Amino acid sequence: MRSPNPPRRGLLARSRRYVLAGATVLAAGLWFGASPVAAAGESVGTCVLEKYNEHTYGGQTGSYAVKAAKADKEFGSTAAEENIVELEGKLEGCLESPNPILPETTEIIWGGIAFAVLLGLMQWKLFPAVKRSMDRRAEKIRGDLDAAETARTEALEVKASYEAELADARAEASRIIDAARADAEGVRADLIARAEAEAAELRQRSDLDVEAAKRQALSDLQSEVSAIVIGAAETVIGRNLDHDTQVQLIESYIDDVGSRN
Amino acid sequence: MSVFALEFPPVTQLFEWPDIAFTDTALALNKTSLIYLVSMLLTVATFGLAARKRALVPSGVQHVAEGGVNFVEQNIVMQTIGPEGRRFMPFLTTLFFFIFYVNIFEVIPFIQFPGNSRMAVPLLLALVVWVIYNYVGVRSQGLGGYLKNSLFPPGVPKLLYVIVAPIELFSTFLIRPLSLAIRLWANMMAGHLLLVTFAVLSAALWGFGYVPGLLPFFMLVLLTAFEIFVSALQAFIFTILTAVYIGGSLHPEH
Repeated sequence: MRSPNPPRRGLLARSRRYVLAGATVLAAGLWFGASPVAAAGESVGTCVLEKYNEHTYGGQTGSYAVKAAKADKEFGSTAAEENIVELEGKLEGCLESPNPILPETTEIIWGGIAFAVLLGLMQWKLFPAVKRSMDRRAEKIRGDLDAAETARTEALEVKASYEAELADARAEASRIIDAARADAEGVRADLIARAEAEAAELRQRSDLDVEAAKRQALSDLQSEVSAIVIGAAETVIGRNLDHDTQVQLIESYIDDVGSRN
Repeated sequence: MSVFALEFPPVTQLFEWPDIAFTDTALALNKTSLIYLVSMLLTVATFGLAARKRALVPSGVQHVAEGGVNFVEQNIVMQTIGPEGRRFMPFLTTLFFFIFYVNIFEVIPFIQFPGNSRMAVPLLLALVVWVIYNYVGVRSQGLGGYLKNSLFPPGVPKLLYVIVAPIELFSTFLIRPLSLAIRLWANMMAGHLLLVTFAVLSAALWGFGYVPGLLPFFMLVLLTAFEIFVSALQAFIFTILTAVYIGGSLHPEH
């Protein structure tokens, strides 16, 4: 399935195949065509052979020329001798090293072409593309860091707000608890007071009851004792005392007993 | 060439390569020229692929390109020119990557030849740098101001100008590009000669058994690692000196 937004195939993308193909061909050329073995082709031997074959004497070339010159030299020909010296000079030239500091013109031309094309491509397209990509990434990272910082600040603010709310809630809870505790304390104190009041009242009431019962008991006891004592006295003395005398006698006795208690 | 019974190849074989295309024309192509072209394509491929990847966390080729740009910006431009040197970033980055790739072929198996051990590119780049820093100097200070600041550096006692001015004339306008070119070329050439020497020694002494052959072989391995370092270092030195020269043209007071 095709993507709805296929990647833009710019000049770089289109030329990539050609660049790679060119690099491969050139690398293969370097590998096979310009290897040390090929360099040996331009060795001393090749040079010597070339000079030897190119050598001319008396209208002849190559080995014929050399043979003719040698033959003439045997007969004392100065021209033949000079010709052979010239050939020797050329052959010795093959052994001479060239000045390595002097640049080859063709290499300067190819080097110049390579550098000029490269500089042009770099200035025009390649360097700005890479730099743009780097800048975009730096911008994105900077943006992400800013966003993260903003998010962090916001989170801190939210946290501070939550903490404030939490502190408020805690304070409120504490206040409510204190109030509840105060209320409870009030209720407790009230209850205790009421209970104490009721207890006091009950105690008072019971004291009164006890007092009344005591009084009643004393009265009853007094009457009972009086009756017993009268009966006993009557029995002992065998005479009746009139009532008022009896009572007076008993009460005085009781009072006497009561004061002793 | 026979040195102590060792067959040492003549310099023609070490640095001069036969033409493999367009022979006997001005555009004759040899191994060195091919290295220049491949280095150009490698730089294009590095940045082209890096520009396409655009991953948030760079890796592979994107990492190489972006790491290089970052390195040139932070360790070269900001250290020597300052923020206003950012406009030279494409040029300096191109310089760094191109020189590095041309150098690194020194250790690529079967190619094993640093393009900068030939004088063509070092000289060419040094001339480009010369033109640029002089142009920047004239543009930012005016012709008179640039010449005055170059030949009569501020802060030098006036009497000393008799000696300083000719020295500065030579050093700024003649020696600088030459030293830039020769430093790169000579380092790479010396590195190549070292590797060849130990390769020849290893091959020759291998015939006498493994033990004598091992020492030069280990040296060869070590020097190969060292040449990787030198390739990057020379690219860095060439680029940072270029930035220093441009910075000097922009701010004569420094």
